[in-house]
Formats: sequence, structure tokens, C-alpha cells
Amino acid sequence: MSQLKRVQQWATFARVWHIYDAAWQNPFQSAELLKKYLMGMHKPIYHPMNDCGDHVIVINTADVALPGDEWKKRVYFHHTGYPGGASWTLAWELHKKNPTMVMKKAVYNSMDRSLQRRYTMERLHLYPDANVPLNLLENVSNQIKQLRPKPKRLDEYKEEEVREFPKLIDLPKSYIVE
Amino acid sequence: MSHSNIFLKSGFINVPLKNGIGRYVGQLQRVVLKFCKNNGSSAGMREFIETELVNFAKSNPGVVVYVKPRRHKTAVIKAEYLNGDSQWLNCRNFTKEEIQKWLELLKRQQINHDGQRIRKLWHTDHPSIQGPWTPFTFRDPQLNLATFPDERLSKSDVIASTSQDELVEMFKKQKLKELQSAN
Repeated sequence: MSQLKRVQQWATFARVWHIYDAAWQNPFQSAELLKKYLMGMHKPIYHPMNDCGDHVIVINTADVALPGDEWKKRVYFHHTGYPGGASWTLAWELHKKNPTMVMKKAVYNSMDRSLQRRYTMERLHLYPDANVPLNLLENVSNQIKQLRPKPKRLDEYKEEEVREFPKLIDLPKSYIVE
Repeated sequence: MSHSNIFLKSGFINVPLKNGIGRYVGQLQRVVLKFCKNNGSSAGMREFIETELVNFAKSNPGVVVYVKPRRHKTAVIKAEYLNGDSQWLNCRNFTKEEIQKWLELLKRQQINHDGQRIRKLWHTDHPSIQGPWTPFTFRDPQLNLATFPDERLSKSDVIASTSQDELVEMFKKQKLKELQSAN
């Protein structure tokens, strides 16, 4: 193999690092998106037996938004293997214990049950906030677009903007909390 | 290809001894047609033998044709090749046309590719000058200067207007109207 051909081979199969901001995003819809990057399905060279998956760093997993009343209703099952070792954890409880776990489970469950799944998951790096170790962050060369627009909270608006916003109703003074 | 094909023998489509360059040697050596004289599943085969087989044998003098009646057995074609390969084909309930089609394939193919995973389904005499795809082809050059994570790059493509936006628009229109009526 010539020098040029060898470099071409490295370039084609180079692993790209992507970053994804999970703030205000549905983890289950995001998982379907991230799965494609992790398995390399977004590449024209994709093949199930071709090891071409990319790395994905997910930040702000603590701020994921579950649809409807899923925080209260979604249950995660675990069994230790011993008799009476079954446990059921609600999504909000799990999120309190480990703010990356809901996202991790969503990606893991979105993939087909195969031997490759565990190795694909190794390429997923989850962080509850925006603090990513620098040695990982310096690899990143692409950002995955969010699936839905991130809403702006009231305290993120300037005081002037809030004041100038058209007023619909004049509430009586007794209604307004000081 | 799926994992179910992983244990198949793999290879490339090839031609023994550069067959067809300069001279062509038909690779099909012998074909054996087995059928039942009574059973309905051999009806197509019997029809083929009655009407087409003599023509086939005459037009292919290089192929030895055997016909074997086999009582209460499914119709079968067995083809033997010059390189020693043999291919067995179940012809249960085949029509005359289907048998003709398969015999044509067996006659023309160079090697038995049955039970073989073909490594590459494409071939080109003019390989790309640009070279194969890499993750860096067609990449937006703007990304070369970006620092990650970037709020703007992460922004979603969805541009649905919210009720809040509509409210602001309505307010602006109302203001304009008021201004116009004042003038």
C-alpha cells in the first residue's frame, strides 16, 4: 500500500467527535438522532460490519425535558440477581441520583439488542452540565443541532424587554406577589 | 449484508482462465434433469422436456444433457462445471419458462456462486480521481474556526412561531394602525 493510499484509508475511517446540547430536549427523540452518529449511520460508507461509529459528547443532560408526565410515570427496572432483588425507580428519582442516567438509558434502549451495543455505548460521553474535560473537548469538531428550539426563561430577558412587553390584562394589586 | 451471512464462504465474481478474452470455453459440462412422470410438481419439467429440451441440447453441443425419471421425487436440476463445481437446484412446481430461465443461467455462469457471499457488488474500470469520501469532504469551512460548544451552531432548524411571537406581532400591527389613524 502506497503512502497516499494509507493516508486515504485513515482519513476515510477517521473518528469524528460531535457535541450535543441536551438542554430542553426530549431524550428519547435525541437518542434516535445520537444513535445514528454513534453507529456511523450518517456516513456514506456505513455498513453494519464496518466499524465507523463516531464519538458523541452530550452536555447538560441534567436539563433534559421528558414529555408529558413521564417524570412521574416512567419507571426504570433493575434486578440485582438475588431473590427479592428487583427494584423499580421512577424517572425523577433516577434523575436525582444520576442526572446522566435518563439520557444514557434512552440511547441504550434506542439501539438494537446486539453484541455491538455495549461497544457503541463506550463512544457516548455524558455530562450533567457544560463542564467537559478539556482533553475530550479538544477533539470535538462538529456540533449536532438541537431538535427543538430552546425556550428563553423570564429571568434571561432584560428588565427593559419585560417592561415593554404588551400587557394583556391589568391585574388588581392584590393579585401581584411582591 | 446482515450477520446471518457472516459464515458463508466469501469471494469475488471471477472468470476461470480469463475465459472470454480471445476464446470462450463454455464452463457448463453436464446438466442432469431429474423429474417424476406422475407428480404434478414435475409438470413444468415434463413440459420442458417434451417441447424445449431437444432444441436446448442441439443448440448447446458442448453440454451433456441427462434426463433421469425418478419416481415420486421432486424435479431437480444438477449442473456440473469444468472446474469440478456442481450446483443443485430444486425445481418443485416450476413452470416451463422458469426452468428455461434457470437453465440459461446455469449455462452462462462461469462458476457456482451459490452459497457464496460476494464481497463487492460493484466494479469500476475508472476509479474516482477525487478519492473515496472522508468525514472532511463537503464540510462547512466555517466549522474550522468555531469553538465548541457553540450556542449558535447548536440552534435547531425548527422555526415555528410561538403564541408569544404572534402576540408581539399583533401588538406591533395595532401600534402601526394607531399611528396611521393619528396622522
